[in-house]
Amino acid sequence: MTELLLFQLRRVGRNKQYLFFTVLLPALFTVFFTKVIGGQLAPGDYQDVAGSVLVSMLAYGAIGAALGATIRIAFDRSSGWLRQLRVTPVPSGSVFAVDVAVGALLVLPSLVVVALVGRFVNGVQFGLGTWLALVGSLWAGSVVFVALGVAVGLALEAQAAGAAIGILGTVLAALGGLWFPVEQFPEGMATVARTLPSYWFAELGRDIAGGTPASAPVAVLGGYGVLFAVAALAVARRRPLHAVAG
Amino acid sequence: MPSTPVLEIDGLTVRYGGTLAVDALDLRIGAGETVALLGSNGAGKSSIVNAALGLFRPAAGQVRLLGRTPAEAVQAGGVGAMLQHGGLPSEARVGEVLALVRRRHADPWPLDDLAATAGIAGLLDRGVDALSGGQRQRVLLALALAGAPPLLLLDEPTSAMDVAGRQAFWTTMRGLADRGHTVVFATHHLDEADAVADRVVVVAGGRVLADGTAAEIKSRIAGRTVRFRCPGPRDGLAALPGVTGIGGDGDLVELATTDAEATLRALLGTRAGLPDLEVRGASLEQAFLHLTTEMGALR
Repeated sequence: MTELLLFQLRRVGRNKQYLFFTVLLPALFTVFFTKVIGGQLAPGDYQDVAGSVLVSMLAYGAIGAALGATIRIAFDRSSGWLRQLRVTPVPSGSVFAVDVAVGALLVLPSLVVVALVGRFVNGVQFGLGTWLALVGSLWAGSVVFVALGVAVGLALEAQAAGAAIGILGTVLAALGGLWFPVEQFPEGMATVARTLPSYWFAELGRDIAGGTPASAPVAVLGGYGVLFAVAALAVARRRPLHAVAG
Repeated sequence: MPSTPVLEIDGLTVRYGGTLAVDALDLRIGAGETVALLGSNGAGKSSIVNAALGLFRPAAGQVRLLGRTPAEAVQAGGVGAMLQHGGLPSEARVGEVLALVRRRHADPWPLDDLAATAGIAGLLDRGVDALSGGQRQRVLLALALAGAPPLLLLDEPTSAMDVAGRQAFWTTMRGLADRGHTVVFATHHLDEADAVADRVVVVAGGRVLADGTAAEIKSRIAGRTVRFRCPGPRDGLAALPGVTGIGGDGDLVELATTDAEATLRALLGTRAGLPDLEVRGASLEQAFLHLTTEMGALR
């Protein structure tokens, strides 16, 4: 199991595109959005804006990392690798478990890098406990998007899956208010945003950053997590990992 | 029939939707045999191999590999396989992939010898995505051989190889067979079945049409071919003793005959010369075509 985990981590680590979109891009956006929006503000307001942008970008990076790592299952199925593994003594159950673990693990570097950029480049001031709670809770919450990525990765063929990583990540980020705050959305769009898991994922972070943890984000994310996990299991039952197509 | 069956298939039936791919097929393969599953595309060869490996649950029938279920045999490292739709993981190195699989075997084939046998000694540090089609097949062969399994199941293993690659591949397979490995391969190349297998199982419509040595299969079309050049009219040739059919291109005549000697005597009696005369046994290709057409006629 450990060998398979390291094997999978090495593979993703070689994917420059993955590292760019899940670590570098959210980090750059964190600086960019903060400079653009917070540039002319008074110091107190600057902290609010910089903190809010930081949480949004933590969420954005985590969603991208979770989806990007797990939707890769589709590539391994389409290439025939999962089928090949099926006829070796590598247990196929562990392949599935490892891909879930890889998805969860790879969220962490994204969260840590964006948090460090927020603290040391943008000068966001949180207490140490808040920093740890923020990164920890977003890491835990990202399991919702790991489940979504597994469901999508199992359902799609390689080409569609490649597109889905980008589209899903962008739609969840843009409509969930991670790039522009939902407060600036027209009313209809704001209503849509408040139904999305990405919105509640960022809310979870905002509540913790603001020192007012609430139960609503946890409840909504929990519901989405169960929904995506059930969907993933249903798809897995219909299309075994080693199936070539259909 | 060899005493220890390595592969036992009983009443295997495979359906895809409404299509019957394998039709109540029975097959027994003993230790040390080299067996070709010969058939055209769509004959059911891949379905037989995939069902034998437990890649899907057949509609009916039972498969035992080395006396176990397919899943147990695979887990125990008793069988190595090259699949038609098998693949390698992107962004991995050949050596890493090999190490991952070798580590799961209780008694893996020593790495240097394995790499040399599969012909990938120089490829271990190479990225999987940079391999040619033939190289990929050789890496897949190395994965199949990683546990030095007693049984090898190969589905069209040479399809991505060039002529030299094919020759090297079959030389390796003969070496493995000589060392006691049981080799079962699906192919639509008659020459491969003829040259490599000591037993040929002809498959069509998901059933076994013929089962025997290549020589036995060929003898299923009794008789021989008499060939010569005949620029003039062909009148009377069909009426010669033993002749069952006339073929040939241009002025080349091919007589299929059940009694070559009688046909030749009669020919020599009626003709002044028979330029480019040849008498041959039937080829495996002729036997194969004969068998499959016969089956088509029966249906």
